Amino acid sequence: MGRLLEHHAKQLLKDEGLAVPPGEIAASENEVLEIARLIGKPVVIKALVPVGRRGKAGAIRFAENPEDAVSISREMLGSSVRNFPVEQVLIEERLDIDQEWYVSITFDKNKKAPVIIASLRGGVDVEELSRSYPGEILVREVDPLSDLADYETREIFAELGVRGKLLIAAAGVLAKLYRAFQRYDAYLLEVNPLVITRDGQIMAAAAVMSVDDSAMYRQTGLTDMVQMGSERAWRPLTDLEKRMVEVNESDPYRGTARYTEMPEGDIGFMCGGGGGSLLCFDTLTALGGHPANYSEVGGNPAEEKVFGITKGILSKVGVKGLFVCHNITNNTQVDILARGIIRALEDLRVDLSTFPVVVREAGVNDAAARELFTAAGVEYYGDEVTMTEACTHMITRMQKNLADRRPG
Amino acid sequence: MAILINRHSRIVVQGITGREASMVTKHTLAYGARIAAGVTPGKGGQEVHGIPVYDTLKAACAAHELDTSVIYVPPAFVSDAVAEAVANGIKLILIPTENVPQKDAVKCLALARRAGVRVIGPNSVGMINPADRVKLGAIGGDNVERCFVPGPVGVISRSGGMTAEVSWMVRRAGYGVSTSVSIGGDALIGSTIKDLLPLFEADPETRAVVIFSEPGTSQEEEAADFILQGGFRKPLIAYIAGRFTEDMPEGTVFGHAASIISGNYGRPSLKAAYLKKAGAHVLENFDDLIPTLRQVLGSPSAVAGSAG
Repeated sequence: MGRLLEHHAKQLLKDEGLAVPPGEIAASENEVLEIARLIGKPVVIKALVPVGRRGKAGAIRFAENPEDAVSISREMLGSSVRNFPVEQVLIEERLDIDQEWYVSITFDKNKKAPVIIASLRGGVDVEELSRSYPGEILVREVDPLSDLADYETREIFAELGVRGKLLIAAAGVLAKLYRAFQRYDAYLLEVNPLVITRDGQIMAAAAVMSVDDSAMYRQTGLTDMVQMGSERAWRPLTDLEKRMVEVNESDPYRGTARYTEMPEGDIGFMCGGGGGSLLCFDTLTALGGHPANYSEVGGNPAEEKVFGITKGILSKVGVKGLFVCHNITNNTQVDILARGIIRALEDLRVDLSTFPVVVREAGVNDAAARELFTAAGVEYYGDEVTMTEACTHMITRMQKNLADRRPG
Repeated sequence: MAILINRHSRIVVQGITGREASMVTKHTLAYGARIAAGVTPGKGGQEVHGIPVYDTLKAACAAHELDTSVIYVPPAFVSDAVAEAVANGIKLILIPTENVPQKDAVKCLALARRAGVRVIGPNSVGMINPADRVKLGAIGGDNVERCFVPGPVGVISRSGGMTAEVSWMVRRAGYGVSTSVSIGGDALIGSTIKDLLPLFEADPETRAVVIFSEPGTSQEEEAADFILQGGFRKPLIAYIAGRFTEDMPEGTVFGHAASIISGNYGRPSLKAAYLKKAGAHVLENFDDLIPTLRQVLGSPSAVAGSAG
């Protein structure tokens, strides 16, 4: 999922015909001052970062006048919210609120259908909502094979107790939200609060939108709004991670090579596939090891992709060894893995006598892989050892290496 | 016996002329499975490893009796291919394709569900019944017997690759598999662990089931409930990978698309607790699978139908 920044999400909702608070984005105090003066009313200042629960993190604040807005934005700009640096803030007119509702649309994995979650108790996060008012949340499944019918939108708000003109208006808003959810291949669309102003308008005061990254091929208009690979990090992608995304995207139809930097660690981690990597990471950790990264390489990648990601794994500062391990492959040609890995080791002039490299690769063409790795002087295992045993060999080598380096 | 596929399965490959599909077709035929036909629009009249190709599944069904389809088409065309299979009376669909948009996945899964058609996947590496030498998808590659030999163990894996590794561990322990199923690493899949347990329960050949799990989804919790309700009474052995992800900031994907923790939802430790409560054997260490299988099944030599 790629999460959109709030101003992008709101622009898409606006395009769909929904009302959003008047506002602009600012990257400097001067811009903040200008925008706040132009609005000419009390404003809301929001840090533009792709994370949830911003209110609790102090990333949404209110200002009575332009001067306050400047001093608040001075604190926000350049700070960071849940590891994401605040480079821009969104300045919006503060609404004259009568009611705050909650509406979100997402996919329910058990029901295997889109679901709408709605409540007239908005303004708090959904976890708190379900704790405090479990009886006042309505969850409605939508038939995946037909669109949300207008009568269903009315049923939802009628069941929540909305009456009169507001019922008709709210139903109309929900129909538009669902259309936006569908149109942009959203994975999550959350409007919280959906505000009813004192003069009776319904406005999306805050919006969170995540787009299904599998659908980006047909959402070309969103390309600049969604950072590919961002669902695989809990902070902005590092430069190394961005380079690895490029390595992966350079040949999108042949194999997968995903890379996530871990905060510390000394074992270069070159594993796959999805399940095999999780198993290896757990096992190395349980044995007292510290992988420097997480990776997932599989689906029969081309040699160039293997070469690129192996170089990336080895280039992280503090990496003192390389562990290469996959489950026995169904279709990944392990001789191609071998070629890419050996090329990377040679390219970086890795000294195998001081830098442990342990490989466990079995599967398609593993006889050739064994020859290649053995000729390169790499400690190689095929299906004579289990994945767990390979992890043990790696940890042993790392510990021995550490002991050898100790003086005396 | 086994589940879902057997020597009578009549298989069609949708998208058979693609590079991957063509290779898998070759390996599947070499293994002994009966692929009767292939479909690729615009390539009707061609052959792939001796298998006739049709422009439409309708034409393929007119010429052959077909009940099982493997859909090897790019993500954008999966939904339509499933609709085509459902419309033409296919009863079992396996989808290897990864990165199917969620919107398309819910649509085609709903369509199949309503028609009573079983779907395995998307993002499944395949399934295999070694006793009958039938397989769907890339599973086993060109050296099937390395991992998959006949025996009394059912395997359900959320990871395609680990379907092979688990089955290989079963063989290493001295047994074999009745059926191994890669159910797919996506959040939205046609058949979950709980959906397959009753089939293994009903299969007289299966004496125990091994599941390979990951963070994310509530499949393991549902499976545990199903066991507690009495729906599955055979021994269940589970390994849940990705425990380290609990120490990482939540909402980050590690591994497959479905592998994501949100609050308590999807936590391996809670899945393990649920399954233990239901009486399952939850493995701390993956290699413990071998002694646990022996404990559950008795010595390999005493097990009829095992690889020995």
